[in-house]
Amino acid sequence: MNERPILPAEDTLDKESFVFVGESWSPGAEFNAKPVGFFRDALARLCRNVPSVIAFFVIVLVVFLALFAPGFNAYGFNEQNTDRVNMPPRVQGLENLGILNGSRVLTNRRTEYFGDTEKYPEGAILSYDNIRTIRGVEIADVTVNYYVFLGADDEYYWMGTDYLGRDLFTRLFVGARVSLLIAVLSVLINAVIGVVYGAVAGYYGGKVDMIMMRITEVLGSVPNIAVVTMFILFFGTGILSVILALVVQGWIHAARLTRAQFYRLKVREYVLAARTLGTGDRALIFRHILPNAIGPLITTAMIAIPGAIFAESFLAYIGLGIKAPLASIGVLLAEAQKNLMSLPYQTFFPAALISLLMIAFNMFANGLRDAFDPSQRGKD
Amino acid sequence: MCLTLFLVVSISFVVIRLMPGSVYENPELSTAVLEALDSKMHLNEPILTQYYYYLRGIFVDGDWGVSVAIEPSVPVFKILMRRIPISLTINLASLLIAIPIGIAMGTVAALRKNKPSDHIISFLVVIFISLPSFVFASLLQYFMAYKLGWAPIIYQPSVSFLEKISSLMLPVLALTLWPVATVARYLRGELIETVNSDFMLLARTKGLTQGEATVHHAFRNSCLPIVHIIIPMFANILGGSLVIEQIFAIPGVGGIMIDAISSYDHALTIAVVIFYTAISLLTIFVMDILYGVIDPRVRMGAKK
Repeated sequence: MNERPILPAEDTLDKESFVFVGESWSPGAEFNAKPVGFFRDALARLCRNVPSVIAFFVIVLVVFLALFAPGFNAYGFNEQNTDRVNMPPRVQGLENLGILNGSRVLTNRRTEYFGDTEKYPEGAILSYDNIRTIRGVEIADVTVNYYVFLGADDEYYWMGTDYLGRDLFTRLFVGARVSLLIAVLSVLINAVIGVVYGAVAGYYGGKVDMIMMRITEVLGSVPNIAVVTMFILFFGTGILSVILALVVQGWIHAARLTRAQFYRLKVREYVLAARTLGTGDRALIFRHILPNAIGPLITTAMIAIPGAIFAESFLAYIGLGIKAPLASIGVLLAEAQKNLMSLPYQTFFPAALISLLMIAFNMFANGLRDAFDPSQRGKD
Repeated sequence: MCLTLFLVVSISFVVIRLMPGSVYENPELSTAVLEALDSKMHLNEPILTQYYYYLRGIFVDGDWGVSVAIEPSVPVFKILMRRIPISLTINLASLLIAIPIGIAMGTVAALRKNKPSDHIISFLVVIFISLPSFVFASLLQYFMAYKLGWAPIIYQPSVSFLEKISSLMLPVLALTLWPVATVARYLRGELIETVNSDFMLLARTKGLTQGEATVHHAFRNSCLPIVHIIIPMFANILGGSLVIEQIFAIPGVGGIMIDAISSYDHALTIAVVIFYTAISLLTIFVMDILYGVIDPRVRMGAKK
């Protein structure tokens, strides 16, 4: 075959371009970049996961709003105004687009008063329909601009007001603050108790482990709903008792997980090496084993946060939530549920916020799990 | 199991009795009436004696006490017997609907891993798990019942069977979401693991198609862990139905628990707590037994 020579002919090569390897270049010199640690690696993987990044920013946004949004308008979260009860939402700018324009349907109104500017100020009536005559009186359902109707044309309640005339925008984000506080604190306490308990049980093993795990089994077999209910009944409602009620059984999961991790890790060579060098038990547990077990623990804690938000709202729904003046998202939902049919906006905003928050937390936790454990990737 | 039940009964009895507030704190009742009530209900005796009377009532006479506030002077047992079937109906129905859907979704997602259908299902699963059941219930109630009028807004008792079904439809639907997502998510994870295992390779080698191999070999192996999560799920949904029952005004056990607590109807509260405890313990028990039936390895282990 008439092949092209693979190498150029010898005489075309420059002698000077050939250098002995050992003289100026040593293998490994190119690898002096910083070693990529476990957390940096996980962070890089997390950043490539688009849904998690979006979820992260949603969480940051909600936290920011929860911290600062109550100051965005002049209304206090417990400021009652009996002249402005159950106002529909109205937002500057958006009202011109026909949404959130403060309109509200008043049913069964006498049509004869529609021209009366005493009852219906000018511009109050947007439309009316369903005209019918009952017992000689003509009545209709009329859609009014409720703000004009009440002579409050220059006021804006962005999410409306509740049955006591409290601004729901402020209340919603004060509620989000409370909900987040309860969720984060209870998860944090759970994690700390669970990790210490599980670490001790897993590290020492044997009898200690057996007794400690029996305790968790007995505690865990009591139905959650019974424990939480009785706990709150006993200690009364309030932020602290809700947090504690979520802790009573919540730490068990973290304890079991930590124990399993410790069982796996405590037989590793590096633990043996550290022990040989005379490291004490406490240092072994917290300095050597725990950092290696932390990935799944963080993930579990993140997954537990939406669970705690849900549990708190759930308790609020069954009337065991936060005390009256203060609100949480669950309390707002439970209050709004009572007049869902006539005032759906009162349900809509808290429902949207809690759903958004829980979806964001779950997505973020999923991304975190994938980041910490690449072998679990895509395994839901 | 019995020990746990006993512990819960004891603790709840003591806690609830020690709770502040009582129906008898009524200024209209004279001291004489109060004293008479106290001695009849053994309220003036130490708590241990009260507990003894309570347990004796249950075991000797089958007497769970009498409701004092919710439905005055109706035996608690009767109230519960009337309400438990309703709660169980909606819970079992939602579970029965959820499991096939969840299994189908999980299987599809696992077989089409990392394809669009998998991504859609995984996204739905996250939404379903995240969306609180009461939010979904409110949405259903507002749009399907109120706006569209497809189903009654609240539960309607004492009507024809068909109407009863339609009024239970929305609560059941609201309860279905979470189990569907849980089953789908779990099954997907399990199936993906099994599909990649060696025996699946063997099944393919001997000439089965991917579908046959999945149905006959992978699926059975994945069913085991599924049972493991489905049964405890029942107790979970039962807890969740508390709120759903309240939203749809269903006269089940959930609603009465809250009412009983807030109106100091102690005998009723204790009975409901016992009911929940018994259900959750029962599910654990059933699961242990079923494990032996489904998984031959457990049976073999027990015989040795």
